[in-house]
Amino acid sequence: MRFKSSGIRVLGVAAAASCALALTACGSSSSNGSSTIPSGQPVTIGASLSLSGDFSADGQAFQRGYELWAQNQNAAGGLLGHQVKLKIVSDASSPTQVVTNYQKLISVNKVNLTFGPYSTLLSIPAAKIAKRYSYAMVEGAGGGPSVFAAGLTNVFDVTLPVSDDLTPFANWLAALPTSQRPKTVAYVTSNDPFTQPQIPVAQKITNAAGIKTVYNSVFPAEATDFTPIADAVAASKAEVVVLGSVDVPTVSAFMQAFEQAHYNPKAFIATAGPDQGATFAQAVGQNNANGMMVPNSWYPGYDNASSKAMVASYVAKYGGSASDVNADVAEAYSVGQVVAQAVKATGGFDNSKIISYLHSGVTMQSVQGPVKFNNLGQNLLGVAFTFQWQGANFVQVMPTSNPNSVPVLFPKPVWAG
Amino acid sequence: MNGTALTHAVIDGILTGAVYALMATGLTLIFGVMNIINIAQGIFVILGAYLSYALSVHLGIDLFVGLLITIPTLFIVGICVERAFIGRLKGPEKTAMSILVTYAISLIIEGTLNLVFGVNYVQLHSWYVSKSFKVFGIYLPYIYVFGFIMAVVLLGALYVMLYRTRFGASVRASLADHTAAALVGIDVRRVSTICFGIGVAVTAAGGMVYGATNAFNASTSYDLISRLLTIVVLGGLGSLGGALVAGIVMVTLEDVVSVAWSPVWSTMVFFVVLVVVLSVRPQGLFGKQSARVA
Amino acid sequence: MILKRKNWAWPVALLALVAFPLVFQNPAVTSIAVFTLIFMAAATSWNLFSGYSGYIALGDGVFFGTGAYAMALVSTHLNMQGGYAMFALVPLGGILAMLVAVPVGLICLRVRRHTFVVITIAIFFVFQLAAINFGFTGGTAGIQIPSPSWSASFYNLPFYYVGLALVIVSTLLSAGIRRSRFGLQLLAIRDDEDRALGLGTKVAAVKLTGFVISAFTIGMAGGLYAYFLGQIYPQFAFDPLFDISIALMAFLGGLGTLLGPLLGALILESLQQWLTLQFSSGSLYLVFYGVLFLAVILLMPQGIVTFFGDVWTKRNRGVEEKKLGGVTVEEVVGTRRA
Repeated sequence: MRFKSSGIRVLGVAAAASCALALTACGSSSSNGSSTIPSGQPVTIGASLSLSGDFSADGQAFQRGYELWAQNQNAAGGLLGHQVKLKIVSDASSPTQVVTNYQKLISVNKVNLTFGPYSTLLSIPAAKIAKRYSYAMVEGAGGGPSVFAAGLTNVFDVTLPVSDDLTPFANWLAALPTSQRPKTVAYVTSNDPFTQPQIPVAQKITNAAGIKTVYNSVFPAEATDFTPIADAVAASKAEVVVLGSVDVPTVSAFMQAFEQAHYNPKAFIATAGPDQGATFAQAVGQNNANGMMVPNSWYPGYDNASSKAMVASYVAKYGGSASDVNADVAEAYSVGQVVAQAVKATGGFDNSKIISYLHSGVTMQSVQGPVKFNNLGQNLLGVAFTFQWQGANFVQVMPTSNPNSVPVLFPKPVWAG
Repeated sequence: MNGTALTHAVIDGILTGAVYALMATGLTLIFGVMNIINIAQGIFVILGAYLSYALSVHLGIDLFVGLLITIPTLFIVGICVERAFIGRLKGPEKTAMSILVTYAISLIIEGTLNLVFGVNYVQLHSWYVSKSFKVFGIYLPYIYVFGFIMAVVLLGALYVMLYRTRFGASVRASLADHTAAALVGIDVRRVSTICFGIGVAVTAAGGMVYGATNAFNASTSYDLISRLLTIVVLGGLGSLGGALVAGIVMVTLEDVVSVAWSPVWSTMVFFVVLVVVLSVRPQGLFGKQSARVA
Repeated sequence: MILKRKNWAWPVALLALVAFPLVFQNPAVTSIAVFTLIFMAAATSWNLFSGYSGYIALGDGVFFGTGAYAMALVSTHLNMQGGYAMFALVPLGGILAMLVAVPVGLICLRVRRHTFVVITIAIFFVFQLAAINFGFTGGTAGIQIPSPSWSASFYNLPFYYVGLALVIVSTLLSAGIRRSRFGLQLLAIRDDEDRALGLGTKVAAVKLTGFVISAFTIGMAGGLYAYFLGQIYPQFAFDPLFDISIALMAFLGGLGTLLGPLLGALILESLQQWLTLQFSSGSLYLVFYGVLFLAVILLMPQGIVTFFGDVWTKRNRGVEEKKLGGVTVEEVVGTRRA
């Protein structure tokens, strides 16, 4: 008796589950995913973003960027006359979900084009799926070296490869006249594929300039208590601190510990965190943000017509002020722009033609500046800017030769609470 | 290796460890009295931190003063959760089920916090958060010292409650043996509910200090709960003194390893030590020795 | 016992599973199916030890990760090309996981149940941290695994069938253990370990053996997962959410039953993927998932399988009761062991 019921249960559930799974396959399927779209139909672009989980803050900023681009592109007539429709799904910062998402976007929703996910960790599984279907995957983040080492020909990152982020800062230090140049530097970084590659590149330059590395360590990415490490950096009394961080909490913890230790480095740069606009300022206190530097490929005040227009439309759509615009937004927006230019140049939505075009060495424009891809999909023309908080303003300070750079606030003001 | 750096690490460890110990005490109390492993303890800490944040930012209430509101609030939340969900668990698999139930509750709270406060990191601010004073050549941040004092006061209050009041006697009796306690006329259900409430209420205090020293959002809770669980097990499930000692030991050990060796290994060393201690003394440092297991 | 009787349902279900990807060919569906099968196999294997013995292990991610890294390291060191040959690394992952399970088991199984839960978590974190910090594992940059160049419509099928094979292996292991004396010993340990010890059962050896056997399929599941994803990172190969998920699935379906973990995995994994797809606002998905979960656990604390089994049994018994003139035999029937 029990086993018969068990049998029926087995069948019942198997049937129910099959239906459930099949149902997930049903659903929206407006366009047919081919490279030609009948006139009057929208072009659908799919992307998986981390709207919850570890990368959610950036993922949501990316979403705003993609959506802003779609809105502006549609106002300008769409892509080749077709209105742009975005299908953004959440991957909860999980690679398992990313795989399913792109599978669904491509084979069920039949999107015509795909945009990339948010981070280096998710790029490779996503790109592999896209490659299988010969889709181009243009992304705005996820530029860790491992992504390009994977040899995937369909990946294009519009943002500068991360390992070069600190170069302008290191060059600036090296170029300071000997009397002003700091004598010592402390390198401390999270062991993360985004931050770690940046350190040796910068260190090579500072070593050559005679700046002694008095502290060099790596801390675990999952550390929750940074105080002992920060105290050790403070104890080294280095004049310059280079912090490899991926988020605001890390930078904030170091800054707080430095303040408590009454340690005031003359220059302090963090690889990520200070570029998060208002979130950063709130977390650390506006007065403390003063003098903090961060590399990035973009900032709200960037002197580029396209960028200024985007910032204005962002504020119009989402409110707030220009300085609230997160660099992630610009990265996402650039993805849309590059894809739009490829579509226009190839006259259609054929992914293989788009991939060839993007690899053809052509220079394109974006809110982050010019874009040109090498055969790995890296943006050769990406420039690393370095930004600094000066008072409540976030300004470009490097490359110092760049006409839009303002003088660096050096030495960094002492902590002001 | 620098002597000052080492001393500094030890002092930091003791100060911060006490705050972790406070939060872990709630966890171990809940387990001891109810045999429930409250996985949601981490998210309750964050909830407490967000409540302090809301009071501070929107009403301008000082963080420590705000505790007068957040602690009772979380006490009530704890009681409601216990009545609605936890109290219904029974049977031999109660403990394992409690893991699942509290995990589900933590998901709900996490999602709600994300919806209400957004996913951006926030941090609590006040004059004492970044200022410090110098003693014996070391800078001690005010927030850590205040947090330590508060932890000691609250733990002291807990101790007084447990050993000097009738209610406390009921709690201790339930901790020792449920059935015997029930036989003596103690309303074990009521004791359990109140203990759960207390266990959650202390997270409000811990959460405030945590939120002042770390930028946080709802997903920070995952790191927290693993730390709290390991503290509780090291100290001995159900032992309040054990949670205090283990909390301090854990953070101090990590800080010292971080300074003496390398930050990369600090967490791992702690886990290895935990495993070693548990292999030799399975009940934790101060836990009750239960029936022999093989 | 389940396999002994002429139970027509199991072969039919098996046939359905074999035919599934041929009927529902959409790669999005088969992709979810592959992940679901991986979890079904892992949950059944988890249940094989934890469900039968009552020792709830929340650190089995150690085995999953070991299998995943075995796949990654071996395939990259041997410069393998993606293709069928790489599936041979899946059982290799399983064997390696078993080898790892021996010292891990020796450490963990010395403690009583509640401490056991947490010590498995601690060991899990030791492994995760080792994977992050040791150089040969590629650190946080992870390891990229060669992927086969099959066509998009065909790609998921070999993974699906290997996954199905894993499910079959773990189910057979689980069923085989249940009808054996070894299984009875595990159940005895769950009910009253001291009494079992007193009656002469070699409790330590039994527990260790069960633990090691459960590691086998979990390790293989890890290897398959890594291969399917094409890339592993330490925090995803050793993912604490995996640990909780497989326990959840077994509980949801019915701890200690044969069908339970399969059902639980089927429902939870598909449900979770579907929910994430539908609710692109991630936070709403969390709330929903949590509420659903809570509802199921509180309403059906013994798990779905046992719940419906009891409902069915009570209904049948109701008929019999009338025949027996209202005499109930409540105590005898309705135990959890299916």
